[in-house]
Amino acid sequence: MELKQAMEAATADLDVRPGFVGDVMAGGRRRQTRRLVTVTAVVALLAGATAGVVVTRTTEAEPADSRVTAAPTGPFAGDTDLLATARHLWTDAQKQPWKPTEPVVEVTSPPNVFWTGQAMAGPVALVAQEVRVHNSARPATLVGLVADGVVVSREVVTEETKSREAGLYRFGPAGDQYVVLTLGKTVSWSWKAVRGADGRLSRSWASAPGDANGAVYTVAQLSDRPVFVRGDSVPKSDDFAQQAILGSGYYPQGPFMPHPGIGWNGQQCATDAPPQPSSWPGMNVPTAQQELQKRALLDYLVSWDSAGTWSVCAWLPDGRHALMFEAYGELYGVLYRPDGTFSAPAFGGKAVKGQPAVLPLPDGQGTIVADFNGYLGPQGREHAWLAPAGTKEVTVVQQGVSTVVQLP
Amino acid sequence: MQDFEDFVALRSQALLRTAYLLCGGDKGAAEDILQDVLMGMYSKWRRIKTSPEAYARAALANSAANRWRRRSRRPEAPLELGVVPAARGHEQQVVDADSVVRALAQLPTRMRAVLVLRFFDDLSEAETARVLGCGVGTVKSQTSRGLARLRELMGEQVLTWS
Repeated sequence: MELKQAMEAATADLDVRPGFVGDVMAGGRRRQTRRLVTVTAVVALLAGATAGVVVTRTTEAEPADSRVTAAPTGPFAGDTDLLATARHLWTDAQKQPWKPTEPVVEVTSPPNVFWTGQAMAGPVALVAQEVRVHNSARPATLVGLVADGVVVSREVVTEETKSREAGLYRFGPAGDQYVVLTLGKTVSWSWKAVRGADGRLSRSWASAPGDANGAVYTVAQLSDRPVFVRGDSVPKSDDFAQQAILGSGYYPQGPFMPHPGIGWNGQQCATDAPPQPSSWPGMNVPTAQQELQKRALLDYLVSWDSAGTWSVCAWLPDGRHALMFEAYGELYGVLYRPDGTFSAPAFGGKAVKGQPAVLPLPDGQGTIVADFNGYLGPQGREHAWLAPAGTKEVTVVQQGVSTVVQLP
Repeated sequence: MQDFEDFVALRSQALLRTAYLLCGGDKGAAEDILQDVLMGMYSKWRRIKTSPEAYARAALANSAANRWRRRSRRPEAPLELGVVPAARGHEQQVVDADSVVRALAQLPTRMRAVLVLRFFDDLSEAETARVLGCGVGTVKSQTSRGLARLRELMGEQVLTWS
């Protein structure tokens, strides 16, 4: 055996202990601080011999995220038992394997409670801890909420993703309690959008001024569609274009969750494309949703199941095109001019699973009727059909069963 | 200091292996001197970041030597000798691997450092001399004697080197 080969074999399984990198970094910073303090002290003492300088200790290097070392705030900030319990629960939760969304390699600082609050069932605490992650070379922060004796939720915030930190925690037996981090901005919250006689929506907002490590606690029923916004000001009542905070509830919990709406998937067209379409009507449902939200015609979409995963497009007789979609169990549409700019909204009423979707279009452009995998109209067009203006009923054949749909 | 942290994260394992051999198979001591060396590099980083690995290996070799010096030349605890199995296989490779660490542990620290730097870290004689602060002639003689001593210590297990 070669000597080098033997040495390599002898050391092949060696690796540094967990936390080693953090220990080195912390120790290095401490040593440098001590060195600076010593130099400062020597200089100050030399100068002080003639000028009476006061020697002061320099501060430790600041961590990347101040929450990792910030003193606790809130009503239980001085409750050492509570803080210790929160830290214990936080550390205890790390005995479970990290989730796929938590790319943590190692924790590199002790947990720190930086905020406490009073919730319905008792105190809650926000905890932050510096960690090393495998998708970033820079230190990251593991931040989360401890409530009801458990870590409700955690979030890994890296230097690259800190602008996208959600900082929204939903908890409680009914899932109706929220803690929202201010992150230095004004946090506003609202529930129950109200639609006026003109079809436009409005919301009233409450707000809390932002401070660096503050948080807001509130209670709201899911059915009231609570919306949280973090920004420089409080949204106006008809402002539905703000970026709502999307918590972990925005995504389905579990590998597969059937959509509670009509349940269709994909995009279909109710007409054939013209020989030379001036522009593609597009399947860009998010853009269509934003067009309606800009006009206060569609509410904030803050959960994975608030909008459907299907759409139907159609080229219209007057050269415009339309896109139909489902949100909050109702049918919506947007009409676009040939150049692709917004032209008009359309409303279709309730979206009912197992029934064809019907969207009357304005300006005598007909009615979009859709039933995925069915055959519609006199020509038996598959999936969707644009019924010409004046059409009173449409025959739909679904799985061999023919039904007649009355049009408005 | 992000690049320093990257260096620590990426190179600590390799440096630990060198430290382990320099410490004659004492993993705890290897981690200690590695951590000490790396912490010392933190404040010097701007000066040494052009060749941090060479700096680290030199510092490890010197720390390992100083460590034994501080321990008042107390004899190092040799690893327990295992029973050599009759058949050579995977187990034999393990024995070989342990044997070389045991043999290294019985060499004088300077001689051990020369062998580790020359044959594990692939340093030239001149580089090894520079790291250890001695002449090339010393490196040559220590290498020659060290290899001979290894042969004696490892008995029938013949080591070759290139």
